[in-house]
Amino acid sequence: MASDEILRIHLQELRRGTVVVASLVALRHPDYGYALLQRLTEHGFPVDANTLYPLLRRLEEQGLLTSEWNTEESRPRKFYRTSAEGESTLTRLLEDLAAVQTSMTALIQGVER
Amino acid sequence: MTSLTDRYVAATLRTVPAQRREEIAAELRGSIEDMIDGRTAAGEDSTTAEREVLTELGDPAQLAARYEDRRLQLIGPTYYLAWFRLLRLLLSFVPALVGVVVGLVQATDGDNAGGAVGSGIAAAIQTAVQIGFWVTLVFAILERTNTKLDLPAWTVDQLPNDRPDRQITLTDAAASIGWLAIFTAYVPLQHFFSFVPARDGEGNLPILNPELWSFWLPFLMVVLIATLGLEIAKYRAGRWTRPLVVTSAVLDLAFAIPVILLMANDRLLSPELVARFDWLSQPDNLDTVATVTIVVTIVITLWHIAESIIKLRRTA
Repeated sequence: MASDEILRIHLQELRRGTVVVASLVALRHPDYGYALLQRLTEHGFPVDANTLYPLLRRLEEQGLLTSEWNTEESRPRKFYRTSAEGESTLTRLLEDLAAVQTSMTALIQGVER
Repeated sequence: MTSLTDRYVAATLRTVPAQRREEIAAELRGSIEDMIDGRTAAGEDSTTAEREVLTELGDPAQLAARYEDRRLQLIGPTYYLAWFRLLRLLLSFVPALVGVVVGLVQATDGDNAGGAVGSGIAAAIQTAVQIGFWVTLVFAILERTNTKLDLPAWTVDQLPNDRPDRQITLTDAAASIGWLAIFTAYVPLQHFFSFVPARDGEGNLPILNPELWSFWLPFLMVVLIATLGLEIAKYRAGRWTRPLVVTSAVLDLAFAIPVILLMANDRLLSPELVARFDWLSQPDNLDTVATVTIVVTIVITLWHIAESIIKLRRTA
């Protein structure tokens, strides 16, 4: 087994793109930054606050998320929602994720045979 | 009193473009307050919670860079190789060229040969520093403005046509030759230009004994120049060969043995220099200097000979 540090780096590389996919899925139901952070962590996508908040802004600038300020609660919060464009991008990303899983399974079986 | 959160938000927004600043500020402040609430709900006191939340968010400058998708690097992978190659190309000849030209102009202008060499070296160093600064600055600006360079793509034809088992790299050879050239030039220069003033504060004291000019100093210079020639031959051969090892050992000994014998007989350093320093003129201290010099010379010489033999064996 490689050292913890090497393992950590590889896991980080493997997880890097999944935060975007997970956020686009989760924000089919509108939510604000901190609540999204907690939902992602609960569902096994731990992400740093200082990564997620800037990421949400970038996805909004790219048109994949829309946002709306909600001023009804105790403090004003910016709610994000996956846009139509975000939805079609997400479809492509999920297809690719599935394709990676399929290819990996086939490769594992091919090697084991 | 401004809270830590206020200060954190202000520090983060300092570099964010003005038109987005207020919205990011409101959102970031809200997120921080949410995170603090999350912690106080779990039983932490609010001061500790605030500190920990801000610590978790990290350096505000880094967070700001993430908001703007700005990379925190002077020169990134896109430009690094172009920067490195251009810098290496320019540094390989421009400072030396400028140094030689300045030195020649000074030498023909006045009668101070030592001063001309000095200003040549100073000009070369200044040129090198200027090249390093300006080239890096231009590439750092390119990095920040994301300018396309449109350099020709790499092709297999660019592969260096060199033997893969080369032992003597160009860098090593150039470094050795450079040092030998400086060292050889310093033997006559130290006579006029030792930076050691005489006791009355005027003129220079030679470091090496001027009597040795009748034979030993010219002899040592010839040996150094021959060693320089050997370095060139070694680079052309690309590796150590038996004749090179033998010649190198002979030259090493031809340099080391006279230095050791002269030092042992107190003839290497100029008597004026020894008399100039009270500490050095004590016979015991002079002996210590001689012993250290001799031991260092022996160690370096033996190490150099051993290294050449080991490398020869490795290729055999």
